Amino acid sequence: MTQATTKTTTTGNDWEPKIVAFCCNWCSYAGADLAGTSRIQYPPNARIIRVNCTGRIDPDFILAALEMGADGVLVSGCHPGDCHYTSGNLKMQARWALLRKAIEQAGIDPRRIRLQWASASEAQIFADGVTLLIDQVKKLGPLRGQWR
Amino acid sequence: MTENETPRIGVFVCHCGHNIAGTVDVVRVAKEAEKFPNVVFSTDEMFMCADSGQELIRTKIKEHDLTRIIVASCSPRMHEPTFRRVVEEGGLNRYVFEQVNLREHVSWCHMHEPEAATEKAIDLVRMAVARAAKLEPLPIKRVKVIPRTLVVGGGIAGLRASLDIADRGFEVVLVEKQDKLGGNVIKWTHMFPSDRTGTEVVEPLIERVESHSNIKVYKSSRVIDFEGYIGNFEVTIESQGRKKNETVEVGAVIVATGFEAFKPKGYYGYGESPDIVTLDELQAMPRQDLLLRPSDGKPAKKIAFIGCVGSREPGKKGHEHCSRYCCSAVAKAAADLRDRVDEALVLYQDVRTYGRGHEDIHRLARQKRVIFSKFEPDEKPEVTVTDGKIKMRWRDVLADDQLAFEPDLLILASAMIPPSDVEETATMFSLTRSGDGFFNPEHIKLAPLTTHTAGIMIAGVAQAAKNASESVIDASGAAAKAASLLARGEVEIESTVSRVDPDLCSSCHTCVAACPYGAISMDDSDPPIAVVTEAKCHGCGTCAAGCPSGAITMFHSTDEQILSMVEALLVPSPISGGE
Ligand code: SF4
Ligand code: SF4
Ligand code: SF4
Repeated sequence: MTQATTKTTTTGNDWEPKIVAFCCNWCSYAGADLAGTSRIQYPPNARIIRVNCTGRIDPDFILAALEMGADGVLVSGCHPGDCHYTSGNLKMQARWALLRKAIEQAGIDPRRIRLQWASASEAQIFADGVTLLIDQVKKLGPLRGQWR
Repeated sequence: MTENETPRIGVFVCHCGHNIAGTVDVVRVAKEAEKFPNVVFSTDEMFMCADSGQELIRTKIKEHDLTRIIVASCSPRMHEPTFRRVVEEGGLNRYVFEQVNLREHVSWCHMHEPEAATEKAIDLVRMAVARAAKLEPLPIKRVKVIPRTLVVGGGIAGLRASLDIADRGFEVVLVEKQDKLGGNVIKWTHMFPSDRTGTEVVEPLIERVESHSNIKVYKSSRVIDFEGYIGNFEVTIESQGRKKNETVEVGAVIVATGFEAFKPKGYYGYGESPDIVTLDELQAMPRQDLLLRPSDGKPAKKIAFIGCVGSREPGKKGHEHCSRYCCSAVAKAAADLRDRVDEALVLYQDVRTYGRGHEDIHRLARQKRVIFSKFEPDEKPEVTVTDGKIKMRWRDVLADDQLAFEPDLLILASAMIPPSDVEETATMFSLTRSGDGFFNPEHIKLAPLTTHTAGIMIAGVAQAAKNASESVIDASGAAAKAASLLARGEVEIESTVSRVDPDLCSSCHTCVAACPYGAISMDDSDPPIAVVTEAKCHGCGTCAAGCPSGAITMFHSTDEQILSMVEALLVPSPISGGE
């Protein structure tokens, strides 16, 4: 990784955060596709899981990912009003506030999770969002000490 | 394949020539995949989507008795249908196929980090393997196609599409929001680069459409509700002056909603003088021997055009694209009008008269001594209006000279932008839009006329800026797509719907409120239990995520399938290989 911030990580030079990214098929997954087609370069830490709609994302999935050791979780979907399924993303948005609270109460910095909207044409916004979360998580360090 | 049988997974890693293999060590990915649970076969191959790659899948299914197939290649948004078909030809259910995106999501966006890219590829394959083990064959559902098409928009594209479908023997419902057909074209008394008036071009089409026994035209009308799925849509149409809304059933939809000419407020004095008009406004001026300027009705003697107004502006959302029709139209307009005026000037950034015969028009304009002068994109001409007089100042790039001109009439070749109600249309038909604001096709090269909503086609400028001839070509193409769907009579639909387990349902109504399609209702039992109407379910999964009792299964996207991927990434199983 070219942008590895060796100074800000708390655990040495070689720690790279693991990020789980849930992307809706119609907007953000397509946006990530376009980022590739446009050869936009961004850090390789995120692993995308494709779901039909952000509405499909049960907060339990995010909690489970953090529990299993993900250092950060990204949820990326269609802009409000642009949902392929008209309003699934609004349901996700409604769950998000509760989720943040739950995470905070569990002692986890809510900056480890990020909800963003990126349409099929917003490749750069998608890539920037991924980069931003990774940078944020790097500053926070590994979720549970040294990874593995 | 029964549920309890141990899955036998085959993994095929694609090089995509140099596209993936140039960054990702595909041989290593395939080798690593061999070690993942339930994998009994793994290999790498130059082009998986080519005939040889497809044959390889079919052969290996037989040879190794594979029950789950993973192809690690490009985006599933491109080739999932291809590989699902191949898997079916190999004797498996299409839903036991899983695709990993190593190109768009890995090699192309981590080009300078081959090591990290390879690690990511291995992770993604491991996740797919875990998910594949949980995949279930699903029933393949076929439904009848209602042999009728809805065409939205009665401009030149909508008219052409309607006629093509109707002539093919299928019914068409054409909905136009204006009180007459013909769209933008009919307003134009001058159809640059053609010699004819807009009326001459579209009137024959309109006459045929209005008298065609297979076409029903709704003018001053809008689609206000749209439900259903490919082959079986229900459309509600609201018409001005009609008290009751009408509902029609259609099997296919063509969206041909066209464009609006950008009103370039803030550009080159537009709005400050009635003699500064857009190309669209010029085209709508009455046809007469003399070119009269709007301010005082006196003949214009000196005219000027400026190109790319609101087009090709990097960084300005909705205005970055080339509008594609204006260069040729400006060249033609200037050549034509040159005979009636003393001087005609065209200021341009670039001239792109790419269409058939358009270069001749460009040449003709130059022969007629239309002056072409190039300016720099970041050094736009200055236009001022004082006491009704228009003054232009700019630097000519080729002469490197500061020039000035005082036209009686200034024409701005303004951009084609989506109509103001484009967002409504997008929401109505679940279409996504690209950076220019027009609708996204399913695939820019492989499927430019279909969209990601099955059964919905786009034609003409609804898809991107283009000229009238190109719009008509599109329209015929989209019509052919629709007609072939209707002619088939039957179509397969996705089995990815949700289902409620009645034993677990706690009657909370959460899902009923969550479903965007009203696909869930409570039955009459006591206490009532939620039931999904599969035909209405679009498979978003919102209900499954919201159900507090875990009573809802979203097929092909079950909790188990999703969590198995998370687990495979973060706490990989120590089990090695299959068998
Ligand atoms: S077609 Fe229009 S937008 Fe495109 S380059 Fe020519 S003038 Fe500019
Ligand atoms: S998955 Fe659930 S919420 Fe989505 S359309 Fe189907 S029934 Fe409705
Ligand atoms: S959300 Fe779940 S428990 Fe509530 S009614 Fe729907 S299926 Fe039943």
